[in-house]
Amino acid sequence: MIQSLPYLFLGLLLLAVLGWWVWDAIIHKSTAELLTPRHLVGLRSAGARRDVGDRIFGSQDWDFVLRETPSEIHRMFQRERTVLALAWLRRTRLRTSQVMHAHVAVARKSEDLQIGMELKLALSYLLFLILCNSLVGWVWLRGPVRTRKIVGQTLQWAAQLRRAFEQLMARVDPASCRVVGTNFNHGTVRN
Amino acid sequence: MGLERSNIDIEPAVTDLRNRTLSRLPGDFSRLVYLASSRDCNTGKYYHDGLAFHFSQSVTSNAMALCHREIFDRLVYASLEELIEELCNYISSTDERPEEFLKSWKHLGSYRVTIPSECDELEAEVFLSNVKMALAILQTRQMPASQDEQSA
Repeated sequence: MIQSLPYLFLGLLLLAVLGWWVWDAIIHKSTAELLTPRHLVGLRSAGARRDVGDRIFGSQDWDFVLRETPSEIHRMFQRERTVLALAWLRRTRLRTSQVMHAHVAVARKSEDLQIGMELKLALSYLLFLILCNSLVGWVWLRGPVRTRKIVGQTLQWAAQLRRAFEQLMARVDPASCRVVGTNFNHGTVRN
Repeated sequence: MGLERSNIDIEPAVTDLRNRTLSRLPGDFSRLVYLASSRDCNTGKYYHDGLAFHFSQSVTSNAMALCHREIFDRLVYASLEELIEELCNYISSTDERPEEFLKSWKHLGSYRVTIPSECDELEAEVFLSNVKMALAILQTRQMPASQDEQSA
């Protein structure tokens, strides 16, 4: 029992650090807001394509199905949306990983690295991967309807992480940033 | 820049297509089926004799592709309730009996060919899943009616 205490302490410390990062990223939104001027955020969101994730996790269809259809359709709806939600989560994870890999490739060559910011991004990315994998399991078990809120919060945070990546890449290498920024929504990010 | 330029080139053809052809069709689902059926599945090019008479074949094809994509986008982001309404409008516009139509569409998966060539893979999956749901819901609504017919 006493032998396992250091591991327990380390685990708790790691959890506390991760918790702090979540708090910092979701509640204070520091990374993205520090890196993204407000007027640019507005322009970006106005011009961006609609996210199919909103369509998959939205409650409107479920409310309609509950109200207007028999129970066999309820089950069919849950099955269909679970498949779509899982596909969407896996794609979101893949795209974020592609952006991260592109950023790492560019950062390696950069002479103007901000170590603190890079470390923060790396930890945020790690946390994002953990959360994303947990969500895949959670959605698979409980379905997209019951996991809507937690998925929504994670996605909000992922969007901020993406903006932070783009801003960092713009500083490190504007040419690469244009490539990643333009193609992110279409799933064809190139390294 | 290139994309903006090409959109300006096809704008008169798009306007013509919207005003003279698509506006006469009852709803977005009918428009989607019409545009998909005007496409050559081997080449992916669209054909419209009237439009090609006024504009070039290439402009015509690009204009139809743009409209196809626009209508598809609207249907992907339409709610299930709206999609069912669109599907009902389309079924009413054909001369087929609704139960036959639903059976055939469900069995053959005819709606799969209505997806535009250049579209997001996941959006296509969302669309196919929603149409599948809409067909199933319409079939459950048809069931009591067809049972009544049989008993009469």
